[in-house]
Amino acid sequence: MTTEHADGWQPRRIDRIDAGMRRLAAAIAILGGMGLVLVILATVASVTGRALIPLGLRPIRGDFELIELAAGFAVFSFLPWCQINRQHASVELLTARLGDAVNRWIDLVCDILMFLVAALIAVQHGRGMLDKYGYGETTFVLQYPIWWAYAAGLAGAAVFLVVSLHCVMRSIDAIATGLSPTTGSAHH
Amino acid sequence: MSSQEIALLAFPALLVLIFLRIPIGLAMLVTGMGGIYVLNGSFAMITGQMKHLTWGTFSSYSLSIIPLFLLMGQFASLGGMSQALFKAAETWMGHHRGGVAMAAVGACAGFGAICGSSLATAATMGQVALPELKRYGYSGELATGTLAAGGTLGILIPPSVILVIYAILTEQNIAKLFVAAFIPGILAAIGYIIAIAIYVRIKPQSAGSRARAPYCERFRSLVAVWPVLVVFLLVVGGIYGGVFTPTEAAAVGAFGTGLVALINGGLTPMSLKRAILATASSTAMIFLIVLGAGIFNTFLALSQLPQTAAALVSDGGFNPWLVMFAVLVLYLVLGCVMDSLSMILLTVPIFFPIMVGLDFGLSPEEFALWFGIIVLIVVEVGLITPPVGMNLFVINSMSKETPMSATYRGVLPFVLTDLVRVAILTAFPAISLLAVRLLY
Repeated sequence: MTTEHADGWQPRRIDRIDAGMRRLAAAIAILGGMGLVLVILATVASVTGRALIPLGLRPIRGDFELIELAAGFAVFSFLPWCQINRQHASVELLTARLGDAVNRWIDLVCDILMFLVAALIAVQHGRGMLDKYGYGETTFVLQYPIWWAYAAGLAGAAVFLVVSLHCVMRSIDAIATGLSPTTGSAHH
Repeated sequence: MSSQEIALLAFPALLVLIFLRIPIGLAMLVTGMGGIYVLNGSFAMITGQMKHLTWGTFSSYSLSIIPLFLLMGQFASLGGMSQALFKAAETWMGHHRGGVAMAAVGACAGFGAICGSSLATAATMGQVALPELKRYGYSGELATGTLAAGGTLGILIPPSVILVIYAILTEQNIAKLFVAAFIPGILAAIGYIIAIAIYVRIKPQSAGSRARAPYCERFRSLVAVWPVLVVFLLVVGGIYGGVFTPTEAAAVGAFGTGLVALINGGLTPMSLKRAILATASSTAMIFLIVLGAGIFNTFLALSQLPQTAAALVSDGGFNPWLVMFAVLVLYLVLGCVMDSLSMILLTVPIFFPIMVGLDFGLSPEEFALWFGIIVLIVVEVGLITPPVGMNLFVINSMSKETPMSATYRGVLPFVLTDLVRVAILTAFPAISLLAVRLLY
């Protein structure tokens, strides 16, 4: 996306930002996915340990707390990738007949609503984290502070917020220029 | 205006948003928040709830099964399990009239046993089977119809993401639901095969022929399928036997399919990245809907609509079977425009309390299992009913030369067998409960 073309055509700023945002969204999603992979390995080790107690092995302590931690982080970190690719489930039955111009406005409304929800999620989740920090709550078995887990989620929520804001900009640009964004699969 | 009337108005409002292409999860969130604001006159309840609801939902131990099952399906297709299944089914059944299409159904059923999602099953098997169906002279109509319908076996045959959600909503045992879904899932596959057999007799030109495969080739093809069987037995057997929790089973299953993919050379850093990103999209989509439904259902509970409706129906002295019929028709109509997960999340909290109060001659637990299976099947029919069947779009987009109208025609025989199966399973709860009664 960012390579210069021979005829002097340069990618527009919004497209460069879009490429960057996609890399950011993909990077954090992969981080979340790696968390899941680690949990899979830990669970297999734990289950094996539990099955082989007679041989002196043991399950991993607090394995389900690890699963919750990794799953919570993973889901938060997956939100930006889904948003930037417009892959949330939606019904295109009526809007498919409405023409490109109307659909670009609908895209904008969707993106603004999603941005507002992303903001609500990020801010309230952050305040929830401060609550947990203030109470000094820890998990039952592993005794790690719950606010750590919330902080991991907050990283995903923050990227989600930034990406949602970018999606609003992208939609405004699409209305202003009448162009579809060069990246992302707007309608599939 | 009473709070129940406000809640009743929320449904048309929600549908308008959904039809304007607002993502379904987002539409539920917005409608639910708006409804709570109207009922309470302030946002205090929402802001308070959102402090911990998001993390609580995303990190839920029982819901964490969903990304794990999705990753398991991704690994299974990287590991070539979809090809192995189709190859095996094809060498055994391909020479019959319509046999390659029947083999596609069989392979979908097999893949459904290691994949909990219909869309993933349709997409994965579509990639494998569509080119082969074309090569053997099957019409685009029959090929796309078969695979769209076959894909629904992904959620009918356990493990099933939708059943996990139903189990959480109704506080039922996931293992028992998986066991109960097994026989109806097999019946579905048999129904589809019968539909193909009738279809190719009515339209003989829509299927080509294929030479009979020698037995040595047939048995060799079975060897490649054993990992599928092992993973399935490990996951479902492990849950049933109480060896693992369902979440652990999903992790073990993902490990198993991942290991097969690694050994087969299908799992590389590049393909792992793609598998994670595909899982990321589906997971985020599902959890946004779950979060939205959480807010929407908080609003409904606040309005006391579900309790009022349940009281109305149980005091009304209606025939339980008539109520059941009405509910099923409503599901089928909704299914034409909504996705299965949203339907389950929106309707089960309302319908389940109503239905469980009616007398079908079953214990509450047996009723919950039976109702779950029936609902699973009717929402799954929604995946293949025109105009908004997700599976139809997924498969049609993979077969460029087939017009959408042909896919709509091609899937009709399968929808018919679905309706017949719903009627039979509704009339005879014993079929859905047989496996559970035998095993527990």
